[in-house]
Amino acid sequence: MDLSSVFFIGNIMNLERIPNEEKLSLCRRYYLGGFAFLPFLWLVNVLWFFREAFLKPTYTEQLQIKSYVKKSALGLIVWVAVLTTWITIFQHFRAQWGEVGDYLSFTIPLGTA
Amino acid sequence: MIIMSSNILSGVDTVLDVGQSWITINALIWLWAFGFCHLLFMNTSDSEEDSYNERSALVQCESPTIPSYHQDHDMSLPQETDTKRGRPVSSGLDEPGLVERERAATPDGEEEELTLKYGAKHVIMLFIPVTLCMVVVVATIKSVSFYTEKTSQQLIYTPFKEDPNSVGQRLLYSLLNTIVMISVIVVMTIILVVLYKYRCYKFIHGWLILSSLMLLFWFSFMYLGEVFKTYNVAMDYPTLAMIIWNFGVVGMICIHWKGPLRLQQAYLIVISALMALIFIKYLPEWSAWVILAAISIYDLIAVLCPKGPLRMLVETAQERNEPIFPALIYSSAMVWMVGMADSNNPDSADERQRNEGGALAQEGVESEDDVALGGRRRCSAEEDLEEDRGVKLGLGDFIFYSVLVGKAAANGGDWNTTLACFVAILIGLCLTLLLLAIFKKALPALPISITFGLVFYFSTDNLVRPFMDSLAAHQYYI
Repeated sequence: MDLSSVFFIGNIMNLERIPNEEKLSLCRRYYLGGFAFLPFLWLVNVLWFFREAFLKPTYTEQLQIKSYVKKSALGLIVWVAVLTTWITIFQHFRAQWGEVGDYLSFTIPLGTA
Repeated sequence: MIIMSSNILSGVDTVLDVGQSWITINALIWLWAFGFCHLLFMNTSDSEEDSYNERSALVQCESPTIPSYHQDHDMSLPQETDTKRGRPVSSGLDEPGLVERERAATPDGEEEELTLKYGAKHVIMLFIPVTLCMVVVVATIKSVSFYTEKTSQQLIYTPFKEDPNSVGQRLLYSLLNTIVMISVIVVMTIILVVLYKYRCYKFIHGWLILSSLMLLFWFSFMYLGEVFKTYNVAMDYPTLAMIIWNFGVVGMICIHWKGPLRLQQAYLIVISALMALIFIKYLPEWSAWVILAAISIYDLIAVLCPKGPLRMLVETAQERNEPIFPALIYSSAMVWMVGMADSNNPDSADERQRNEGGALAQEGVESEDDVALGGRRRCSAEEDLEEDRGVKLGLGDFIFYSVLVGKAAANGGDWNTTLACFVAILIGLCLTLLLLAIFKKALPALPISITFGLVFYFSTDNLVRPFMDSLAAHQYYI
């Protein structure tokens, strides 16, 4: 299904309908965008392109899409690990840190001693 | 460590005071944007005519010679699942009816039936987001007390402060507030239509981006802050910054550029809910009800009168075969058009490229049909270019529905009233969609629903609630 002279507008749900080059370009942009402290973008990338990358019969760009999805998943896991660690540390040690803890806090639970 | 009182959060309060001015600015942007949100379109499959208009779209929709209901149902189902799973719609050769779209000569009865059935599917598709939005608003109102606390601050659009002691004065002031608010909306809508007519797209686009930025970042920041305070959760700035940053940026990408449809729909629902919560908090009691009533009347006038601004906007958009702006319209189905870049229609290609920044291309494909060979392209499986475009509902409608239900939930907190308003709005939406299927042109979505909602609210609050209370008090079960 060669739709080379095709261009599309707007929000996409249906990855079927867009040509493979566009899919690749979209995947790549989402991947690159995620480097701006956006693990959510990587998550969206992984979820959206998962079927494309792994559950579809092979086509030319699929290998690259697969690599982007894998890299996004890796980045996502790293970010999740970092955030979980930080949140755990913060929640556990916030009370003990005194002033620094208050400075870092956006909301402070009432009634803790 | 000493016990922390809520005074420590006064820093946040001063930020919120600064936020007041931001809120007014943003509300300005949004009121102006609401101005043309109160539209309801139904676009179905493409027409083969040269000029697209709403009237012809439905007429030309698939009209096979399948007489029975059952088969029609089957036919519409694969279409729906097709859009979900992404199989090309016309490639289903076992569904010949889908392919034969260019059949013009069809009996009226079948058209009507198909139209109404098609509409029924989309009624359901709109119920879900409207319900979700209302659920989010009601859940927040019930749990986070911030949005029901009355502040002395008001938006500048409701300058008169209601005095709770005097009924007459309260009524008068709420009427005056309404007049101010509605005039602001009218002025903003007219400015928008003028800008649109003179093709100041960049300006409008910039405004939209600014207002979505405000909504996605600032209002969600406030909302999160209040939720954390309510549930007494400690939150630190770095994590919060990550959350807000991710939420906002991905939201901007999904709404204004390209992203999964479901995510975009979710974001639109969330921002409608946020805006509705702001309205619930900052509109004075009686003014809110009068404003709701007045806005439905305005909506009716603006969309249906020949010189109404919203109608002019829709007609201009249709003349130019352009989509109305993204980010203010919720679409129930995928809107994706493929443009064959023929040399025959360079102007439409240009137009499309101009609107490429995230615009929902509802009508875009029609311009190709000017040159297309009478729809023969649709028959071939490779050139499947159509899409089920579904129904579109403006975000302003979501917001005002949620405001109504949210206020019903906030006042007194009785579930009878809330549910009654919810049901009323859905019934109104059903009726509006039915009318849409009959009249086949852009209709205002507010009047019927808001009227039913208001009627149900006041009658339930004043009649049903005391009745149920006294029944319960006397332990009398009916």
